[in-house]
Amino acid sequence: MDEKTILRARDFWTAIVLFFVSLFFLYRTSKIPFFNSASAGVDSAQWYDSAALVPFGVFGILLALSIVLFVISIKDGGAKVALSAVGLDIDISEIKRLFSISIILSAYIFGLVPRVDFIICSALMITALIWGFHRGVRPATYIASAAVIVPALYALIANFPQSEWGKPHDDDWITLISFLALTATMFATEIRAKNVDRVVKATPIVAVLCPLILVLAMAFGFRQNVPNRTGLLFSQIEYNYYVNLRPLWQGKK
Amino acid sequence: MIEFVLAQLVGFSSALYILVIDPITYVYLIPAVFLGIVFGALPGLTATLAVTILTGFFGNKFPLDQALIALIGSYVGAIYGGSYPSILLNIPGTAASAATAMDGYPMTQKGLGGQALGLTTTASFIGTLFGTFCLLIFVWLLLIVSKNIASPEKALLALFGILLSGTLMSEDLVIKGWIAGLLGLAMAMVGLDPLLSEPRYVFEWSYLLSGFQVVPVLMGAFAIPQIMDGMREAIKLMKVPNVGRIRPEMGEVMKHMPTILRSGAIGTGVGALPGVGEDVAGWVSYGVGKSVSKEGDQFGKGSKDGLISAEAANNAAIGGALIPLLVLGIPGSPPAAALLGALKINNVIPGPTIDPALILHIVAILVLASLTMLIMGLLTAKIFIKILRIPQTMFLPVVMVLTTIGSFSVGGGINDLFLMIGVGLVAYAMNKMQYPIAPLVIGVILGGLFDETFRRSLLISDGDMTVFFSRPGAAILLTLNILLVMSQIPLIKRMFSKLTGKFKKVGA
Repeated sequence: MDEKTILRARDFWTAIVLFFVSLFFLYRTSKIPFFNSASAGVDSAQWYDSAALVPFGVFGILLALSIVLFVISIKDGGAKVALSAVGLDIDISEIKRLFSISIILSAYIFGLVPRVDFIICSALMITALIWGFHRGVRPATYIASAAVIVPALYALIANFPQSEWGKPHDDDWITLISFLALTATMFATEIRAKNVDRVVKATPIVAVLCPLILVLAMAFGFRQNVPNRTGLLFSQIEYNYYVNLRPLWQGKK
Repeated sequence: MIEFVLAQLVGFSSALYILVIDPITYVYLIPAVFLGIVFGALPGLTATLAVTILTGFFGNKFPLDQALIALIGSYVGAIYGGSYPSILLNIPGTAASAATAMDGYPMTQKGLGGQALGLTTTASFIGTLFGTFCLLIFVWLLLIVSKNIASPEKALLALFGILLSGTLMSEDLVIKGWIAGLLGLAMAMVGLDPLLSEPRYVFEWSYLLSGFQVVPVLMGAFAIPQIMDGMREAIKLMKVPNVGRIRPEMGEVMKHMPTILRSGAIGTGVGALPGVGEDVAGWVSYGVGKSVSKEGDQFGKGSKDGLISAEAANNAAIGGALIPLLVLGIPGSPPAAALLGALKINNVIPGPTIDPALILHIVAILVLASLTMLIMGLLTAKIFIKILRIPQTMFLPVVMVLTTIGSFSVGGGINDLFLMIGVGLVAYAMNKMQYPIAPLVIGVILGGLFDETFRRSLLISDGDMTVFFSRPGAAILLTLNILLVMSQIPLIKRMFSKLTGKFKKVGA
């Protein structure tokens, strides 16, 4: 099947999604005062300075364009193949790979970064992505994905509310254990396969040094906030920086 | 006119002198250009990503003068750096250098890789200088014109930027570009509206009251799809061919000077179009070169003229892209959109009221950055060639960490990261369905401006729509917008081609 038909099959579904999204936001826009509104005790708006004016235009045009896209996709034969896997050009192994990447990235951002020490969770994510996707070997991808998902789910469930994010918890330890276990598994697997290449050898160094240097540069060089200052490693670094190192070079010790 | 040009050159010389004698300049410039070249050279990383990531790091943490050195340095470096994998591996490092591969790689196959890199380095340097000179001159002329620009013109210009970017950046259907632009515009509607402070689409989440922040949107739109796309494919070990010494190739460059000047002019012109950028500039210049060059039949087979056409144009587009950015606040390219993000978080509003000293400072940085690029390109090219051997699966996870911490530190904290990953996943899906991402970002950036100025125009005119065509500037811009949309309607396209066909017959 040619690429254009596959694209039109995808456009068929996109047009439907876009149509309903536009309708939903048009409905939401209708809740914004349009004619003669009064806010904060002031009779403020005519239709032409209403906050709903531009959104009505934008979502109205999007709705119209979704219909145009729908018509084009039907005309070009996209609708005929829209329900078939061939029409949508679905490659199961690619979907699995892509799903694993999305899951790792989402677990990292939604589960780990807000709750776990940034150096440890970044080291875990880097190791998982490099080993899990370097050669495209499926068992490695699954093990790497699980190594990120398990501590992320634990952190998410055990410390879900935002008020718990900044407090020190055992999720740091679980993530650290997961990182060490994944690194050990990586080396064990590669040694058994007699296939330890430069990338595998360099992975733990890159995984630890990159986030470490970045966090140090951001926190003490750029003087910026970094995620999770109470994390297992960062709290120690920060304590030793302000209590031991800084007074030392300021001549106070 | 000559007096005006001379006055500009004097102002520029003074700005350049201040920059050159300040040692801090080099602390920022040299690593930034180096980092830019590395980002450009690594396939999967782009110039936009380089500028966006550095915006996260430098945007609001350093004085703007110094942050701009880092951002512009990386921009210039990355556009040039893209030529390395194009020439040596036939894999464009950035979209801007895709046209470079057409003749660069055949030259490498003929054993002329070193010469191709030398030519590219010199042509890129001259191209950047050409674009910078045009920026120095045209930005002032346009600033004079822009003093007459009021809300109706600004609204129509913002709309034109979104529509033009959607039209030119779309590889499939043009309406996909428009949809992307409108989605960006819709995203800009989130938060308190600029005139009445009416909350829109906040869904009782206080973070959304301040609207979508530019940096996380940029990071999500440009970094996440690149990371996902790069990781999707299993490792491809690259065998980098050996190249000889890389020399400036001044003799060859002098011989091709008319090509460089022509490509520089095309690059600057295309770069100045809102939201279009270096990749289109490279292809347009290559296409023009093929039709006008004496060795046009050799294009695609290792022609030096072809190589120079693409490379001089994409670097000249940098200066061009900064013209609408500084004069109107409308970015000329996706990396310029990231630069606008940096200006915005430093509370600098580009436009008629922009500080003239800042413009001269930017021009001076561009010149110094291109000189640094030339020196690095000639002296340290071997390092960049070695970098090409690093597999994508190794550096993309590190980019993810860079993106995360850069986005977090801009100000919105963890919520910015949620926004970044959400935008990233949507942008990836859009990429797969061939929706261009640049119009989406341009829409987010210009959406607020459009909303505010469109409603302000109507407020001032008491709801009278004629305000959009009663002023000469507004009438021209409205006509351009209408023509742009109409030119894409199939019925009108057919009528136009019939009409031109008739004219051709009459002419024959």
